[in-house]
Amino acid sequence: MSSDSSDPSGLDRRRFLQLVSAAGLGLMAGGGLWGAEAGSTSAKPPSETFDIAIVGLGAQGRILLDAIQKIPTVRVVAICDIWEYSATYVQRLLKKSDIMVNVYEDHRTMLEKEKTLTAVIVATPDFWHAPVTNDCLSAGLHVYCEKMMSNTLEGARSMVAAMRKSGKLLQIGHQRRSNPRYVVARNRIVRGDAKALGRITAINGQWNRAAGTDFGWPAKATMKPDHLAKYGFKDMHQFRNWRWFKALGGGPLSDLGAHQIDIFNWFLDAYPTRVLASGGTDYYQNHEWFDNAMVIYEYQTAEGPVRAFYQVQTTTSAGGGYYEQFMGIDGSLKMSENPKITALYHEAAGKSWDQLLKSNLLVATKVAPAPADAAKVDARETAALASYQIPVVLTKAIHQPHLENFFNSIRGKATLNCPADEALRSEIAVFKAIEAVETKMPVTCKPEDFIV
Amino acid sequence: MTDHDTSPDAGATYAFLILRLWLGTRALLTGIEKFADMRTTTIPLLDADGKPDASGAMVEVQEKFYAFSNYHAVPDSLADSLAREPLLPGFLLSPFYAVLGWALIAVGLTLLVGFFSRISLLIMGALYVALTAGLILIKQDGGVSWLAIHIGLVAMALALSKHNRFSVTRS
Repeated sequence: MSSDSSDPSGLDRRRFLQLVSAAGLGLMAGGGLWGAEAGSTSAKPPSETFDIAIVGLGAQGRILLDAIQKIPTVRVVAICDIWEYSATYVQRLLKKSDIMVNVYEDHRTMLEKEKTLTAVIVATPDFWHAPVTNDCLSAGLHVYCEKMMSNTLEGARSMVAAMRKSGKLLQIGHQRRSNPRYVVARNRIVRGDAKALGRITAINGQWNRAAGTDFGWPAKATMKPDHLAKYGFKDMHQFRNWRWFKALGGGPLSDLGAHQIDIFNWFLDAYPTRVLASGGTDYYQNHEWFDNAMVIYEYQTAEGPVRAFYQVQTTTSAGGGYYEQFMGIDGSLKMSENPKITALYHEAAGKSWDQLLKSNLLVATKVAPAPADAAKVDARETAALASYQIPVVLTKAIHQPHLENFFNSIRGKATLNCPADEALRSEIAVFKAIEAVETKMPVTCKPEDFIV
Repeated sequence: MTDHDTSPDAGATYAFLILRLWLGTRALLTGIEKFADMRTTTIPLLDADGKPDASGAMVEVQEKFYAFSNYHAVPDSLADSLAREPLLPGFLLSPFYAVLGWALIAVGLTLLVGFFSRISLLIMGALYVALTAGLILIKQDGGVSWLAIHIGLVAMALALSKHNRFSVTRS
């Protein structure tokens, strides 16, 4: 069960200082030690600085931890992972920054012993998201959980139910929703008064990765079969490559596509009405989930129908990177977390973008070259379009704004940018695409499917 | 003198004055621009009411600024091409680059105020001839034509320089 490598009941220098400062803050607020009430469902907002724990210390957990370390108003006091190798690595990493943490193997033990927690960050394999999140919410803690919410629709729905029952916050890790470039693009370029793209008729999105090999592990760090089985894994290969197994993860449409399909829905403010899809295990013979998929979503928006193509390839990068491109009558917007891929293209006959340029929402990158008639292959070829960029910069770690939004929401100073019920609607669209791939049939999405 | 006799002189005087001011402005601003560069600054994105955008977004904007440390006599690509030319003596290029910007500013100022205008025009012409030689060798025919127009204007100004008025010195 617990593999605590430091005694939670011990009182080292750092913990002593934390308690003293917490006591001071509590006295200043005219109340007792707020931390002692962390398990309650009181609506009282926490003090400026509060304690958190991280459950799941794989690649994603460490990325989140890296971003959290740049936020001075939260203290990581506990970490949890079933793999001692990973937990010890992170514990030592934090120790280098003078951060002492209690280490747990089982999140339930952590919840029993850690009484100062305000929130928990969940970055476990997908099939553990719902059990861990629901236990944390039941313990009266706010939760930031990585997407996908769950590898099953039932699991995801249980998380929304637990959130509502507990009255606590549950933010899902669709971090693009807090990325200022995405927020500005959606609210002030695509939507709002500007509607710079005009009526959107099509979307094209992709996330393509080069073929690779499965993750390995140091022989000395191999976990025993009974230990793996206790936590739902068949063997070490499955533990290290859980994303490819149906009982554990959701495959690439879930891992990669969920982020981008969520952006489709968020920018359109609509959910699909029909899904056509094709995919298969074309290359990796030891994976259960398909490695390549192509999806077409149909939307009915207030302005008319929109068709969205999405592909995820894990066998070729094709050099194209990852993006979501919204195509409209007046122009198109190619969005990506990578600002170098982000671009806008103005249709020659589209409405003027001068006001966007004056407002610093766009900056011109290239003047459209004059068409060379002799070089045209097709007499109907459209002239090359003027290109623009969004000059909004993100000077923080890519997940930091979303985490800050979560922490500020706990303090009552913000509202969640991606609460679980909102995230679930987008994830239902992902489940529909997976269904279309597996059944090889078009899948109809009814409005009531998205009621959560 | 009759009215008929003085009209051509007045016209020539104004013609020279206009040429002197044009060439002076051209030289002065060209010299100053060699100290210009662009820098990126980050400022808050503003909403329609001029208040910081609710997202807290920051935008990068380009702004032009001047500094002695920005000095560049010619664009790097042009300097590279000229450096590769065997007929251009390398030991002369660096001193030429070092004085080009300052010389254009000085010539521009003296032409604008009319201080030793004829000498200033000669120096300006010499600078353009030197630049023309380099552009001929690297086959920048467009640039050669551009400079030829300037040389023509300088020559015209020199031909009219005896009509110099509105100046600090008459020469």
